[in-house]
Amino acid sequence: MKFFGFLILTILIVVFANPFIPYWGVMVALALLAILLNPGNAIAFWGGGLGMGLSWLGLSLYLSIQTGSPLPEKIASIFGVGSGTILIGFTGFLGFLFGAFSSLTGSLFRKITKKRPDNLYRGG
Amino acid sequence: MKYFSFIFVLLITLALGYFASVPIGPAPPMGPLMDPNHGFWQNMYSEDEIAEDEIAIPGLQGTVSVTYDENLIPHIFAQNEEDLYRVQGYVTAQHRLWQMEFQTMAAAGRISEIVGPVALELDRMTRRKGLAYGAELGLAYLKEKDPETLKLVEAYAEGVNAYIDQISSAQLPVEYKILNYRPEKWSGYKSLLLLKYMSDMLVGDRDLEYSNLRKILGEELLNKLFPEFPVDNDPVIEADKVWDFEPIQVSKPDSLNFPNDELVIDPLPQPEEGTGSNNWAVSGKKTKNGYPILANDPHLSLNLPSLWYSMQLSTPGHLVKGATLPGALGVISGFNENIAWGVTNATKDARDWYKITFKDETRGSYKYGESWRDSEFRIEEIQIKGQESYIDTVVYTHYGPVVYDKTFKSERQDINFALKWTVHEGSNEQKTFLMMNKAKNHADYNAALDNYTAPAQNFVFASKSGDIAMRIQGKFAVKWKEQGKFFMDGSDPRMEWKEYIPNAHNPSTLNPERGFVSSANQHPVDPSYPYYVFDNSYEHYRNRRLNNRLREMENITVDDMKALQFDDYYLHAAEALPVMINLLGSYLPNDESAKKYMQELKSWDFYADPNQKGPTLFSSWWSKTYSEIWKEWAEFGVPVVRPSNYQTVKLLKEEPASQIFDWGNSASVETASDHVKKGFELMVEEMKKWEEDEGDYAWANFKRTKIQHLVPQFNSFSVENVYTGGGSGILNATGSRHGASWRMVVELGPEIQAFGIYPGGQSGNPGSKFYANFISKWANGEYLNFNLRKPDDSDASLFITTFVSKP
Repeated sequence: MKFFGFLILTILIVVFANPFIPYWGVMVALALLAILLNPGNAIAFWGGGLGMGLSWLGLSLYLSIQTGSPLPEKIASIFGVGSGTILIGFTGFLGFLFGAFSSLTGSLFRKITKKRPDNLYRGG
Repeated sequence: MKYFSFIFVLLITLALGYFASVPIGPAPPMGPLMDPNHGFWQNMYSEDEIAEDEIAIPGLQGTVSVTYDENLIPHIFAQNEEDLYRVQGYVTAQHRLWQMEFQTMAAAGRISEIVGPVALELDRMTRRKGLAYGAELGLAYLKEKDPETLKLVEAYAEGVNAYIDQISSAQLPVEYKILNYRPEKWSGYKSLLLLKYMSDMLVGDRDLEYSNLRKILGEELLNKLFPEFPVDNDPVIEADKVWDFEPIQVSKPDSLNFPNDELVIDPLPQPEEGTGSNNWAVSGKKTKNGYPILANDPHLSLNLPSLWYSMQLSTPGHLVKGATLPGALGVISGFNENIAWGVTNATKDARDWYKITFKDETRGSYKYGESWRDSEFRIEEIQIKGQESYIDTVVYTHYGPVVYDKTFKSERQDINFALKWTVHEGSNEQKTFLMMNKAKNHADYNAALDNYTAPAQNFVFASKSGDIAMRIQGKFAVKWKEQGKFFMDGSDPRMEWKEYIPNAHNPSTLNPERGFVSSANQHPVDPSYPYYVFDNSYEHYRNRRLNNRLREMENITVDDMKALQFDDYYLHAAEALPVMINLLGSYLPNDESAKKYMQELKSWDFYADPNQKGPTLFSSWWSKTYSEIWKEWAEFGVPVVRPSNYQTVKLLKEEPASQIFDWGNSASVETASDHVKKGFELMVEEMKKWEEDEGDYAWANFKRTKIQHLVPQFNSFSVENVYTGGGSGILNATGSRHGASWRMVVELGPEIQAFGIYPGGQSGNPGSKFYANFISKWANGEYLNFNLRKPDDSDASLFITTFVSKP
């Protein structure tokens, strides 16, 4: 449950904030989210990664289908990669890396700052 | 451990974020490019999908409405001219921002800023030709003499900047994203620079090559091979025109000597072969409906985004429609409610070179007559992407900039040549187009042209009131015979041209007896014209085909004129092929393919249609034969020009045994027929190989018309292998990289009927469906409806945008 909650929150942040801020702004936002929610490292990594990766993959796929534009094929040809479909995959993968490592960073930061005092007061 | 893993992961994350934001090698930063919210994915939208109903921009006085038709052609309705050009700037930038900026960067010699050191030599050359210097003078001229035009030019610039200020990162043209830079502010200066750039594209000179040939061949042979007027001269202005003015007298000084160095420097880049244009107008007495019809098709490099952008511009005082140049104000080739006009290049050796004798190594002064004149130094700082700037010092004399000197393109250390060119003088081409857009009659047309300097053009004209006219307009020097044909000695004041032909003496004609006016880059006039006229590049084929057709046609319709623009008759082949077959005699290589090719050539009707094989075989045979004939000239070791196709055919036909055909350095004696035979063998060889490798050798497959993106490396943004006919020297002048960059036909009846097309699309965005959507129609000889729209027309539209003032 926690995983899906984190995933959905990540997706919401990417979908609503990314149109107004660059990709590195989203990375900061996802790190902050992980610090705030403390989902645990695995959930942060996979939830953040899949959240941002799926958002990017979904949007690039959606735009391709909606517009029918030949641009992805043309860009793929300029960069010497096989096809526009590969670019959609690459975009998703890039989004995954950004999301996964940002959230994991936030989660690890939370562990070294907050968790230790919590444990201390509980006495062990 | 916790600290360690945190720092480790943090570093990975930072590295990811960082490396995605910087270019790696030639690749642009991947993060911004791939981000589907801001990167190239956003450029997939076509303009109608992101249309806005209302846009607020600063500086508008009233409300301006822009109606787009189904082809994304904007029709701007403004209350006054300042608003009109402000919105023209904005709308053009919306669709063509990257292109307009890139072209002015090229004109200013600033390509190195975008692509790095590979463009340094190009930029140095551009700057040494002084285009930016000319544009600065043009701006100073406007400030001093024509504040009204300046105001409009600035309104246009503010319009472009209003767009740049509010452009979102998502909508930034995709070329900026790939090349990783951002647009800078537009300015009036850049609009003027663009017009100078047109001069550069259209003007050439062969002073260097002629100087070399003069030394190698001697004057007599030079004049035989390069006569200043051809035998079949069919000039722009009808040959029987009577010149009713008293010319300015100038005579060749006695005992003059041209510098006699044999020069091995590289010539300046020349306008490419195939750059030219057709225009004509027929009077009502030759047309079916009794109204004049005007046609224009400028031939230029075929590029994407297209050089042209179609628009209608309207105020309560005028409606004008046609082709605009992104970056310049108004319509360049078009029509309004009363008149239509069009342009073709009218080059006339406008660039001349003077050898400069400097006093000493500092180059601070140079010899002019008996005295020394001070030179000026212009420092050019060329910024280079990823490197320190390059500082180039260019010496300016009163002639103009010293292009070749010890630091640039010179193998010989002792030469210094200054370029004298009308582009370096303050002028006001922009005003011509602003006035022409509003012209109502022949007098207004002439008044508009009086402001025009360069590049010289044949301006064709037709009016609703029934007039047709042609005027060759530019600022032409008064020259004595052969002045400026060769390099000249700058220290001898008698070598310098000083005066200009008055506008009233420029060749022109109004309603000639023959019922039509026409131009196709041929000789402007008959030898009876009282001023010296010379250029290397005059056309010998399109003009004769065009005039022959116009002479014989009657009851002409708009469709006839469209067909004539798309006419594929290959006059050069029609004249050369029978001569070549005759010279070949009974000789035929014993080879099945050779027989087949000869059969196909003999049954060919001389039309270069896309499915024909004849034009392929002929053009291969001709080019091989031509190279054989002038093979020795390639061994001179210095730059020269070779005689024209026309002169070469004439020699083949009239003097096949002439000594000219004999290579001096071989033991045998060659004649014309040897070269034709050798050419035939080489053609058979080439065509057999082609058939093996490529298969079909129909004309369109062989010539492979390509419409190329301005960055040639972005090959997928280009359109290749366009199936269309025509070629260089043919009215439909579509070769592999050049051709009709815009076609327009206008009938000036009570209701103006207008048609136009160009090989591209209104959008500059390779992701848009409007990027290249005209190409297939253009290739088939089809047109778009270009009729004027009135503000209250309720015709179907793609979308409408209203511009309001932003406080």
